[in-house]
Amino acid sequence: MEKQFDEKQSFALITEAVQNARERIMEDGFFYLLWGYLVLAAALSHYVLLELVDPRYAAAPWPILMTMGGIISGISGRKRSKKARMKTFFDTAMMYLWSAFLIALFMVLGFTAAGKIDPLACYPLIIVIYGIGTWVSGGILKFKPLLIGGISCWIIAGVSFYFTFDIQILMLALSILISYIIPGHMLKFKASRNV
Amino acid sequence: MFKNLDPLLHNQLRLSVMSLLMNVEYAEFSWLLEKTEATRGNLSVQISKLKEAGYIKVKKSFKNNYPLTTCSIGKKGVDAFEKYVEAISGYLKH
Repeated sequence: MEKQFDEKQSFALITEAVQNARERIMEDGFFYLLWGYLVLAAALSHYVLLELVDPRYAAAPWPILMTMGGIISGISGRKRSKKARMKTFFDTAMMYLWSAFLIALFMVLGFTAAGKIDPLACYPLIIVIYGIGTWVSGGILKFKPLLIGGISCWIIAGVSFYFTFDIQILMLALSILISYIIPGHMLKFKASRNV
Repeated sequence: MFKNLDPLLHNQLRLSVMSLLMNVEYAEFSWLLEKTEATRGNLSVQISKLKEAGYIKVKKSFKNNYPLTTCSIGKKGVDAFEKYVEAISGYLKH
């Protein structure tokens, strides 16, 4: 004979299960920090090489550091998905967001290289895309620092259209600091307190 | 009194499983085991019952050479769960 229970208990059980399933919607900020610091390092070294060393090789840090980020992300992402024992709709939303982000990023870089986008519009457009990443993920995670990061990116992007390329590199560095590195550390701090 | 309540859902463990699955895209057996604090055998039986009714989908595969059971809720399950919640809300209002 199966144990029966009343409606109140049944309602409490559903509520508890909903809370229980929510537990994992927590982000430790790893990818925000990884990409944040890599982009910051690439942008700052780009600036230093351009201004002080040899402009011919100024953009070289980008492919090196971004490939490194891709490899680390791939390995870490694989490990994480192997460890995860369930998948939420949040995970799916994030996957679609970041894949759209990457496609947009590659399109802007590709069409700039092909001469279809003004090189002076390239970095501002990339900052716009950074803003989309943090704004949407901030909305999904309900995390205000990411939302503020998204808005900051769009303001910086708008302003950067009016500056020269060297200043745009520094503005890109600033945007990544505000929208990825700072919220990333805040997420990490939040996650460490919740464990 | 419980005449409108789906007997398949009006059971603690099955309702727990259904409520958990309502909130995820899919979940592994071990996760459900941990969340429901049920015994392995009992959980298996209840999952089979929900599967037979077409409420949930069960996929058997392998992960690192170990058998892996993944469960997700089906359309019929979502409908039944919503109907059940509506019915108990009705009872609670009276």
